[in-house]
Amino acid sequence: MAEHIIVVGLGFGDEGKGAVVDALCQDGTARGGLAQDGLAQGGAAQGGAVTSVVRFNGGAQAAHNVVVGDRHHTFSQFGSGTLAGVPTHLSRHVLVEPIALAGESEELAALGVADPLRLLSIDADALLTTPIHVAANRAREDARGDGRHGSCGKGIGETAWYALLAGAVPGDVVENQRVIGVPGPAPTVGDCARPSVLRGKLDALARFYEPLIGAGTSVDELVALYRDFAGAVRVTTGDEVGRLADRGRLVFEGAQGVLLDQWHGFHPHTTWSTVTPDNARSLLGHRRATVIGVTRTYQTRHGAGPLPTEDHGVLARFPERHNGTGEYQGSWRAGHLDAVLLRYAVEACGGVDALAVTHLDVDGLKVATSYDAPLPSSGLTEFLSGRTPTLVDMPDPVAWLEEDLGVPVLVTGAGPDRAAYAVRTPVPR
Amino acid sequence: MGHGKWDDNAYAAGRTFRAAKGVDDFGYTATLRSQPRDKWKADPSLDPKGVVARECRDSPDHADSTPIAVLFDVTGSMGQVPKIMQRKLGKLHGLLQRKGYLTDPQLMFGGIGDADSDRVPLQVGQFESDNRMDEQLRTIFLEGNGGGQKSESYELAAYFVARHVVTDAWQKRGRKGYLFLIGDELNKPRLEAKHIRRLIGDDVREDIDPASVYQELSRKWHVYFVLPKQSSYYDDPQIADHWRDLLGQNFLKLDDPGAVCELIAATIGMEERVVDLDQAMVDLAEIGSVAESESVGKALVHAGGRGLTKSATPPMLDGPDDVALT
Repeated sequence: MAEHIIVVGLGFGDEGKGAVVDALCQDGTARGGLAQDGLAQGGAAQGGAVTSVVRFNGGAQAAHNVVVGDRHHTFSQFGSGTLAGVPTHLSRHVLVEPIALAGESEELAALGVADPLRLLSIDADALLTTPIHVAANRAREDARGDGRHGSCGKGIGETAWYALLAGAVPGDVVENQRVIGVPGPAPTVGDCARPSVLRGKLDALARFYEPLIGAGTSVDELVALYRDFAGAVRVTTGDEVGRLADRGRLVFEGAQGVLLDQWHGFHPHTTWSTVTPDNARSLLGHRRATVIGVTRTYQTRHGAGPLPTEDHGVLARFPERHNGTGEYQGSWRAGHLDAVLLRYAVEACGGVDALAVTHLDVDGLKVATSYDAPLPSSGLTEFLSGRTPTLVDMPDPVAWLEEDLGVPVLVTGAGPDRAAYAVRTPVPR
Repeated sequence: MGHGKWDDNAYAAGRTFRAAKGVDDFGYTATLRSQPRDKWKADPSLDPKGVVARECRDSPDHADSTPIAVLFDVTGSMGQVPKIMQRKLGKLHGLLQRKGYLTDPQLMFGGIGDADSDRVPLQVGQFESDNRMDEQLRTIFLEGNGGGQKSESYELAAYFVARHVVTDAWQKRGRKGYLFLIGDELNKPRLEAKHIRRLIGDDVREDIDPASVYQELSRKWHVYFVLPKQSSYYDDPQIADHWRDLLGQNFLKLDDPGAVCELIAATIGMEERVVDLDQAMVDLAEIGSVAESESVGKALVHAGGRGLTKSATPPMLDGPDDVALT
């Protein structure tokens, strides 16, 4: 059996994970090329065709662009292997937003994907993101004014936070946020098929958020909608990832980047999600997996937070087709590749087995090899904001990264289109 | 959806999920059609028999409710209109609200057949302002018979709305509601007392002249008849003359049945004096109904463009409902 693959972003998101996942799902060479059990090269096809893409963190705020010829889709909840015909499993670590999911399904159908919802299975324990969470998220971010965190405004943080409130009482402070009412148990995808249970949880949720967003959310409507949702997708219980893993190769698609991780990112500019491969590893149990870290040839981030190598010259050089200023996220920023942060991200992942490097269709790049001071063990956010990086030229990013990080570059991308991606056979070490 | 309002996205999502599940958009019709004809009946939620009144009331969420009743012919070729309505409902409701045509529209749907020959000649739902509208449409039985006599029981539906609908818009504010009848044939020559007794349950002993029903109805309702182009009667002068006699310029011919939602929105916007025809066309284009807006434009220009007159507030806001019947 072929090894499973975990794809994680090593930056602040937007590294190109979607295109890398698509390339892994699509590319025939990839199937054999990654196998270390003798199937390499020739025996590709049956060696490890990808059975499923598994999302292991985040929610509807993911925005993974895949371009195939004249078709482009920004994957949000569907896995980025969809255009390659690979099904998606949303694990229990994913926050599921059914209304957005339906919209995405329609978009994919318009691109020629037949019956997209049939390609989807969802763990019953996955938390449900509702319009109530979204409204609360936006109300809070609006109230922060200039002190915005760079939230996408899609209710992700609110969904995660509410799920932490079991046993809390009004006035308690949980994760720096005051509890404003009496919380109930968090609604899950599995509840959608049980209207009376769901209604109880949504009633409690609506009451809880009333002080923040006001009354009047129609719980009846939500219950009816979610019942239809539960009827349209396959909701799984138990160890679905294990069952899928035993049938063939899985590609675990990470959302966001490790530098935004809830444990390792730079607070408060973080996401309420474990971005590192930890969730994927636990879902896989004892099974082996290759961890591929994805990076651009330069550094980017959306919205507020530290970016030591930020350079307007870099931003001007690399206009983005699929990344703009988000209403709730803030502006798009760019700078030179930051090897200090890259090494930090790799360490946060517990090491990576390989790299995927995107945006190789450029030259004249520089990389920051160090700062004017070594990374401290705490207070990173403040530390990073005042740094002067030491820049060196990086004529061959692939060679440079393999040398600096000591791992092979397995996937290369030199443009937005699938045709610009290549899955390489690893160099034996 | 955040605040008790109809939400286009939630509406669309529900439709997507049901389609994926393979649920027919008109599940009730499919179920009933597989049974013998003598078992056909209106769903209890749509059965007018014994209904004292369908109500369109204000609520904390909808403090300025305006009733919009859409009753369509469910015989034969008209069958696609309910499907179109359902597909575009979210847009209609959203447009009315977002563009300020009406603050709190509440919609009610119903189906009209032939009381002489159909099993289910009248179905009337409830006024709703949320996804339950959608449920209502899916529950309407599309009997699909009729034909032959060039007449359907529109006057029976009109009678129900005149006598069995109460609205806060009228009772509190003296404002008329909107009734759209969508069909392609004539009224029956007489509204037969026995049909009223059998289908609605009122103890009426004399047949009624349809013209007097429409007269009574027009006190509290803006009444429109929409003739969509899909039947052999579209260009039949007898149909046009018949309805113009009853409703004047509120008889509207629509060359694209797919534009029926847009026509309703534009008509209301103009009647409310919120928009003129040009602006209504712009608004429709904004919700992506460009082709439809052209058909709407033609229908309304033909009907006199913006010659719609504002009705005066009636002298007796809560007077007796009865009028002399001929």
